[in-house]
Amino acid sequence: MAKRFALALLLAAALAIAAAYASAFLPGGAPSWAPWPMALGIPAALVGVMVLGASRDGRVGRLAIPFAFSALVLGGGFAAALALPATEAPGVPLYLGLPLRAAVVLYGIGLFPIVVLPIAYALTFSEQTLNADDIERVRLAGLEWARGRDAGAPPSAAARPSTPEVIPAAPGART
Amino acid sequence: MSQTLSGGVQHPAIIAVAIGYFVVVALISVWATRRTKTAKDFFVAGHGIGLVALTVASVSTSVSGFAFIGGPGLIYTIGLGAMYIVLPASVTNVMGAWVLAKRMRLLGEARGLMTIPDAIGARYRSPAAQGLSGVAILIGILGYMATNALAMGVVIDAIFGVGLGWGIWVGMGVTLAYSVAGGILAGIYVDVFQGTLMAAASVLVFLAVLKVGGGLAGISTSILAHDPSFLSPWGKITPLAALSFFFVFGMGSLGQPQGVHKYYMLKDPLQLRWYPLLKTLGLILVLLLYFGVGVGVKSLVARGALTPLSAPDAATPTFLLRFTPVLLAALVFSGVAAATMSAVNSFINIAAAVVTHDLPIALGRKPRNELAWGRISTAVLAVAAALLAQLSGSMVAFLGIFGWGLFACTLVPALAIGLNWEGATKEGAIASIVTGLGVTLTFETLNYFKAYTFPTGVTVSGLSLVLSILVFFGVSWLTRVRAQAGIDPDVRLVMSV
Repeated sequence: MAKRFALALLLAAALAIAAAYASAFLPGGAPSWAPWPMALGIPAALVGVMVLGASRDGRVGRLAIPFAFSALVLGGGFAAALALPATEAPGVPLYLGLPLRAAVVLYGIGLFPIVVLPIAYALTFSEQTLNADDIERVRLAGLEWARGRDAGAPPSAAARPSTPEVIPAAPGART
Repeated sequence: MSQTLSGGVQHPAIIAVAIGYFVVVALISVWATRRTKTAKDFFVAGHGIGLVALTVASVSTSVSGFAFIGGPGLIYTIGLGAMYIVLPASVTNVMGAWVLAKRMRLLGEARGLMTIPDAIGARYRSPAAQGLSGVAILIGILGYMATNALAMGVVIDAIFGVGLGWGIWVGMGVTLAYSVAGGILAGIYVDVFQGTLMAAASVLVFLAVLKVGGGLAGISTSILAHDPSFLSPWGKITPLAALSFFFVFGMGSLGQPQGVHKYYMLKDPLQLRWYPLLKTLGLILVLLLYFGVGVGVKSLVARGALTPLSAPDAATPTFLLRFTPVLLAALVFSGVAAATMSAVNSFINIAAAVVTHDLPIALGRKPRNELAWGRISTAVLAVAAALLAQLSGSMVAFLGIFGWGLFACTLVPALAIGLNWEGATKEGAIASIVTGLGVTLTFETLNYFKAYTFPTGVTVSGLSLVLSILVFFGVSWLTRVRAQAGIDPDVRLVMSV
């Protein structure tokens, strides 16, 4: 389910970005709406590909929250930069040293996701990304594949050496 | 008065620090050479690099000399619009970890894979896809290596005053020595050394910028009084152009071989847990100089403390020589030389793997004696890049332009999406790689010769990336009946965990 959603999001994002680029070829150049599909397509593409990579058994579990947060921060940040009036001028109030729209982009888009995404990745790593059992299963599958190939099954393009090495167990793997 | 690198920065302290840098690089090379005994050691450091070393090396490879010289100059010229090149760093490292790190590392675990085309070949059971992706990587690397060789020549000439030609050959000679002898292992530990110093130097330079400029608020106030559009969220470029940067450098990061290749090298796959956090923090530190010097110099020019720069690339040298202790300036200049060398080392290693490993497989031959041939290819590629840098004049700039974009449009669909979607087919992968290669080479060439230029806001790299993704989806859908049968069981497992 999560993968289908991610693929649909990615495809829609690619179409939106393509539309933004295509609009620039119109007579008179890019229309005023041109940045909008790009501004919404980019967060959709990035979040879509993250969901695609993170989904396991068709689910992203607790990661749904940080992914939604990222979409909101990136999309909201770009939208705010596009929609807020241009007030950059001498004497305007500064937010952490920057005019409002620049602060939204630099701190919102540039820093907010750092606080959330890598930490969410680390906290959900064992359940959602990788654990010692996974590594062991993959090793065994690799050895099985190599045996099959040596026994005459059709080879694939990339291969481990024909005599499988004795591979030590992964640190922490169940034996 | 502004100071460009091409104008020379010779100073006894700067020369001494640069020589010190080279001595450390030589010592690391000797150490790494003793540990390089197999092709796996040479190309993927024997899958044996620890978390911290890999993280620092990866940060170091991610930021070339552009982050210290060209980048601040670009901010000085176009304002905050140039930040869209580095802003995606807040997302790209963790995105790469979710999308590629685990799958690449597990493919290394299952099959002992060494190269990116290896992964594409294994995913689609297709020597053609493996070979084509190898060709795309080689073309992109050719340009990158030539531009980095030229940059190395410029920096070494600036420090030692030996002339551009000698600068190129001295830099390439040093890089070649450690690349041939110690392979990627030498490269990784040189990167660790260089990355650590650069992070420290970047923080110190940023603090110096804040002190000279009166804090970020002082810097902004000065700029707003003279050039308010500089601090608009898009700087002096259009929103479409700025967002296009974000798209290409965000999504495109998933196709950069110098970063993706490193996933194979991690000793314990479970250490990936903290990799994105550490790498993102490291990158932020290193990129402080990019932002700080760019806006800092603009503010100094705005308030009359500096005359307008003679060239944008003068931003960093001018600030360092005028406003920081000479030792810090020396550290940054030597770091720029080391950064270009580390980029060349990384690219040479990847290109040598394509030549000695991927192309023979694509042509149906079994690679033999890969360590020896890897060393020979490394030497040949390095000499070719140096010659290209020296002889091709302005064509070098052209070659360097499309590297990032070419990697992005040829590898993101086939590798990053394909390793996570069982519905992708080898026909889709091949079509997307061909589309990326064709669109990029055709339109970058037309653009270079001014025969055809895209409208404002449209970049060749952005358009080719989005087209290759759409072609990948479209052709995979048309050939979907073959999708499930084209995946080996072990690869399917890697894609499902």
